[in-house]
Amino acid sequence: MLRYFLLSRLVRMLAVFFVIVLLNFALPRAMPGDPASILVNEYNLPAETVRVLRTLWKLDRPIHEQFVAYIESLFTGQWGYSYKYFPRTVYELVMERLPWTLLLQGTTSLTVSGFGMLLGVLAGWRRGTRTDVSITISAILVYAIPYYWLALMMQYLFGYVLRVLPVAHAVTPGLAHASFLEYVADVLWHLTLPVLAVTLTAYASYTLVTRNSMVDVLEEDFIFVARAKGLPERVIMKHAVRNALLPPLTMLAIRLGQIVGGAVITETVFSYPGIGYLIYESIMYKDYPVLNAAFFILAITVIAANFLADMLYAAVDPRIRYVRRR
Amino acid sequence: MRSARFGALGEKLGEFWSVYKRDRAAVVGLAVFLAILTVAVFADLIAPYNPYERVGRPYERPSWKHLLGTNDIGQDIFSEVIYGTRASLFIGFLAAITGTAIGTIVGLVSGYHGGRLDEVLMRVVDMWLSIPTLLFAVFLVAVIVRTGGIPMFYSVILAIALTSWPPVARLVRSATLSIKERPYIESAVALGASSLRIMLRHILPNVAPIVLVEVVVRTAIAMLTESSLSFLGLGDPTVKSWGTVLHFAMIKNALILGLWWWFLPPGLMIAVTVMSVMMVGRGLEMYFNPRLRRY
Repeated sequence: MLRYFLLSRLVRMLAVFFVIVLLNFALPRAMPGDPASILVNEYNLPAETVRVLRTLWKLDRPIHEQFVAYIESLFTGQWGYSYKYFPRTVYELVMERLPWTLLLQGTTSLTVSGFGMLLGVLAGWRRGTRTDVSITISAILVYAIPYYWLALMMQYLFGYVLRVLPVAHAVTPGLAHASFLEYVADVLWHLTLPVLAVTLTAYASYTLVTRNSMVDVLEEDFIFVARAKGLPERVIMKHAVRNALLPPLTMLAIRLGQIVGGAVITETVFSYPGIGYLIYESIMYKDYPVLNAAFFILAITVIAANFLADMLYAAVDPRIRYVRRR
Repeated sequence: MRSARFGALGEKLGEFWSVYKRDRAAVVGLAVFLAILTVAVFADLIAPYNPYERVGRPYERPSWKHLLGTNDIGQDIFSEVIYGTRASLFIGFLAAITGTAIGTIVGLVSGYHGGRLDEVLMRVVDMWLSIPTLLFAVFLVAVIVRTGGIPMFYSVILAIALTSWPPVARLVRSATLSIKERPYIESAVALGASSLRIMLRHILPNVAPIVLVEVVVRTAIAMLTESSLSFLGLGDPTVKSWGTVLHFAMIKNALILGLWWWFLPPGLMIAVTVMSVMMVGRGLEMYFNPRLRRY
């Protein structure tokens, strides 16, 4: 049954992947004017160049040949050159930026969900008390704040008024690090403010979901029995938490992509050299090859993250493996 | 006859209010929202200047002449924020209506029709949900604008609407699934009513409360998405929304220069407005779903 579960998720993952590849291929071609002529309008290229590009991209060939060529170049990393950083290839750029995005988004995914669930468990456990009310209300308030704006305010406070935290870049520019440890410290130092800003604005939905599920679980019979048996509160809480964390974990699985998608804004505000900032730049400079590749890479990241979350979910709740999806 | 109907409506409103007013947060939210709506409607009377005109020197500090100072090209920031109310509310509401309409249609068809079609539509919803909203909106704006034919302003609205329908479709579908099992639907089928008629006349009125709440909640979310897009510089540059003001505040170094009167008020307005709309949504939900009224 576990195999069935893994297999069904794998098939779904591949299906999503295929759809994304197809969209990436079809959309630029569905629009009026082929990719080459769009380039001409944007950059005033001479007719000679356009002819070369058309042959290069096989735009003069039938559609299925174009598709084969597209897939070929996609999987061999031949994504062309960036317009903005011209002599550099798109592949180079994307691979250089990807680790930073993974670092930032990985960290924030953990802090956001961890912090959110912690507060939620606390609020649910102490239902109806002042702790519960203040956690719930503050979560609702926080939900309404645009998070790039909170990030701006924190930059202003910690970076410009108090001058205690760096507001931009992933490492201090131009600094030669004496040792690897110093490098790591510098990276973490620059990570602090972005992670703090995202955590403070994104935790709310996890808190609310966890709280409600905690309240539901605490009303179930097995908790009643545990109480009747005279089990210590700590043990009861452990039982309750394990069951209450399922809905927020599902949410994590669904929302992982959302957190990764937040990369564009977070990285733009903090000039963090990741894929998100690359996307922002390529939109600003109409750097379409980079934009296409960045979307492609992010899509893969999101799909992989979703798959991982599914696995995690199956590990936490053994029941899920035996239930066939409708 | 007419007055009798009006009386019934009044009675209904009175009943609604007696439930709604029990939730203090919802009442405060409604009051704040009505105030903001008034500002949006009468923006040209309230704003002291035309926000699109240069009315002072660049980078002026707040004064009685310019309550929130002026921006980098000498436009009055207070007037920008007032006019921004109109743009932000309008875009948010229109995008929410469009998105909810799409979601409702998909949900109704999917739930009532069932079978293969339902399966396919729900897989589409799953896939749609797994794509990050903001990235998707960015992508859609780029695509729609390049396609041409639709002005930038409406491209943004369409892009937001297209990212927001899947949750609505899910909700409406699950409501439809339970409603269609009721006996009166069976009688309607027996009487030979068409599927379209059953969906529109018999199911839609019953899912209307859910749809109404969704429009309100979606409005709040759409306003946040719009502000993010505009903040990234992807909004219509000729229309001043709060996100646009923040965009220019960021790229013109308001932070480094310490011009808090430029970047503080627009964000505050977004937060307060979104919060008030969400409170109203919560109040409506309490009214329509008595199970939620536990305290």
